[in-house]
Amino acid sequence: MGVLRNPIQYWVWRDPSRRAYRLLRFAEVEADGGRDLARAAELTRDARLRRLYLRHAKDEQRHADIFRGRGTDLLRSLGGGADRAWQPDWLAPGERGLDDVRVEREGDGALLAFLHLSEREAARSFAAYSDAVGADCDTRNVFQHILRDETFHMNYTRRELARVAPRRQGWLLWRARLGRFWKSYLRFAVALGNVFGTIVLTLQYFILLPPFAWAAKRAERREPKGWVTVASATADRGGQY
Amino acid sequence: MKILGLSAHYHDSAAALLVDGLPVAAVQEERLSRRKNDSAFPIQAAEYCLDVAGIEPEQLDAIVFYERPMLKFERILVTALRAFPHSWRSFPHAMKNMLGEKAWMRGIIMSRLGVPGSRIMFTEHHQSHAAAAFLTAPTDRAAILTVDGVGEWATLTAGQGERGPGGTRIAIDRELRFPHSLGMLYSTFTAFLGFEVNEGEYKVMGLAAYGRPTMAAGVRRLIPRTADGAFRLDLDYFEFQRSARRSWSDRFVDLFGPPRNRFEPIDLATPDGQRFADCAASVQAVLEEILVDLARDLHKRTGLADLCLGGGVALNGVANARILAESGFERLFVPSSPGDSGCALGAALYADRIFFGNPDRRLDDHGFLGPEVDETALARIAAEDGLIVDRIDDQNLVEESARDLESGLILGWMEGRCEFGPRALGHRSLLAAPHDVAMRDRLNRDIKYREEFRPFAPVVPIEDADLYFEMPPGGARLARFMSGVFPVRQEWRERLAAVTHVDGSARVQTVDRAFAPRLHDLLRAYGRRTGVPVLLNTSFNLAGEPIVCSAEEGYSTFRRSGADALVVGNVRVRKRAATATTRSEYEEAMA
Repeated sequence: MGVLRNPIQYWVWRDPSRRAYRLLRFAEVEADGGRDLARAAELTRDARLRRLYLRHAKDEQRHADIFRGRGTDLLRSLGGGADRAWQPDWLAPGERGLDDVRVEREGDGALLAFLHLSEREAARSFAAYSDAVGADCDTRNVFQHILRDETFHMNYTRRELARVAPRRQGWLLWRARLGRFWKSYLRFAVALGNVFGTIVLTLQYFILLPPFAWAAKRAERREPKGWVTVASATADRGGQY
Repeated sequence: MKILGLSAHYHDSAAALLVDGLPVAAVQEERLSRRKNDSAFPIQAAEYCLDVAGIEPEQLDAIVFYERPMLKFERILVTALRAFPHSWRSFPHAMKNMLGEKAWMRGIIMSRLGVPGSRIMFTEHHQSHAAAAFLTAPTDRAAILTVDGVGEWATLTAGQGERGPGGTRIAIDRELRFPHSLGMLYSTFTAFLGFEVNEGEYKVMGLAAYGRPTMAAGVRRLIPRTADGAFRLDLDYFEFQRSARRSWSDRFVDLFGPPRNRFEPIDLATPDGQRFADCAASVQAVLEEILVDLARDLHKRTGLADLCLGGGVALNGVANARILAESGFERLFVPSSPGDSGCALGAALYADRIFFGNPDRRLDDHGFLGPEVDETALARIAAEDGLIVDRIDDQNLVEESARDLESGLILGWMEGRCEFGPRALGHRSLLAAPHDVAMRDRLNRDIKYREEFRPFAPVVPIEDADLYFEMPPGGARLARFMSGVFPVRQEWRERLAAVTHVDGSARVQTVDRAFAPRLHDLLRAYGRRTGVPVLLNTSFNLAGEPIVCSAEEGYSTFRRSGADALVVGNVRVRKRAATATTRSEYEEAMA
């Protein structure tokens, strides 16, 4: 898979404009992840975890700043020619942050298992991106700096998982893996459903709507310009029409 | 009678509960879910409201949704038909969006709250805005003006309201309809300037002060006036009615130049940066002109002294101040939550007074209807983390906080129930000294992480407001919920540099003692020390997060920001340089 993925990464990352926008997008994802970690800190009853989550949240915010700074620098260096390049997000999703995790619904153990896997995946992705950015040393340095943090995060979440749920840690990790797999499936299913829905509705639009559209346009031409007088609402009993 | 009002699914969902005609609780979903501008069904907000009253959903007499989903569906469908065949891309998106969930509100409410469909009612979107504005204001008769992007069809309504022993009447007698919308005009510029719609409108207003309205003539071409004094949008310049991709057309770009890339910071020293500021100033100027005209016309038609203003556009404090000064109305009332979240309360009030004909009740004149903060929770977690925790009685807390503020510290200040609406009015605030530009920059850089062109607001005792700010008659009232922007008096601008915007104005909050006793005492104590009883008051949150609600959230925000101390009730927490416990734990975990 790595062999297949790397040429794709090279292709995705070689364009400086695309690189800049992807870094800016990563900044948003990191900031979102930081917010989720802060939420985890607010909800946990475990004081040690709270402190670690808060530190982790600050790291994520710092990463967001670093990504944003590098992305902005890249954009500036491109001057006015930085049109927004096509973004193949599905080819190189990068870090999905905490993957829309609902922190409120997870116990400490489940969340740590989830965080551990997310950080591990992020570390893998950033290592690949670091290789793929070619001669852009500044961007590579950004990835390598953040990669170190991600490795730390991966380690502390694993250790804490062992502390919080010593007997269930294996099961929690498997459950988190299944959860990630299920979310991937859901993303795929939603995207597929979306495509089918769009096709069906577009067909309906062109086949069924033209006579109604004609009538609607005719009615629109008869509408007065400016104020419309409102009828008294005395008979209104709170219906939905 | 127990009535639950709900607003949801567009932006900023909320729930509000009336018991015997009085609001006992109201809160935005985002304050509980911690997702900014959360538009999901407000189940947590509803549960909170029911908990406050100690009732179950089945004990509710009515649940009122703030708009009529089927009318909205009709508008979306008809708009797509009118734009045929150009709307072919937006049609599938709009239909999936509407038919997925939004059209079926009765069923959704039934399933989420477990109540029979017969108890579910609907008000029109602008009826909810009108009720939120009029029925929460301390007035018996007033003209009513509601202005926002769009509800079902209406985008702006005008009428009047009357309340008293004889009953309550809200008579909306005319309206403007989609796509002709002041809110959509402003939102189009918000998106064009690279800000998020329904969130970045504040930024446009702040940016406007840095520009000159050199493009006002261009903006007027987008929104020609009609013979009857209203306006219409020239749809050649817009695409929001037929595209989900962008809301302006190529002709719009011909007039105003290329849009801003949202990722690129605005640099006012560059020609493009100045063009964006001029765009903001131009749309702001035209918005004000039109609103003042409409309000003046409404004043002439009704002859009333009071105006109640609702809808998202009522958050534009600069325009509000001009309406107050120039329309002829003596008093202008804007509720603490004039936008869509306030519609939850408006819908419940409308149903109570109009649908059920219940007698008028005078409401408490504040917006503190959200969850209470728990000081013991803060004391516990801060002590666990090895921070400095003090329990102090009211008087000493106020005096010591004034001293801390004088010495340049930034305080998180939480007390009582949280505010209903987008403004922090002193119950979930960050407070700081207002004198120095360096303080403004520090707040922007270390705490709020936001654009440097956005101003901070001052809070002042109502009895002193006129000394520091040029308040027109009725201005102090408008400033109760931070709804007006007024000039800082020339002689105080230097001493109030952190809260004086580049154009010399400030979005003032006035506080009387009954409204927020401790904050008022703090202002007085600060005034005794420094000679100026004014503080900088900004919402207690970080960029991209909702305002904090609970003590845990306040603590987490305090720890992640550059704030120096956190006060919750009578508990004060201060930071050590870096707690040894945290540092060693982290290093150990990372080893």
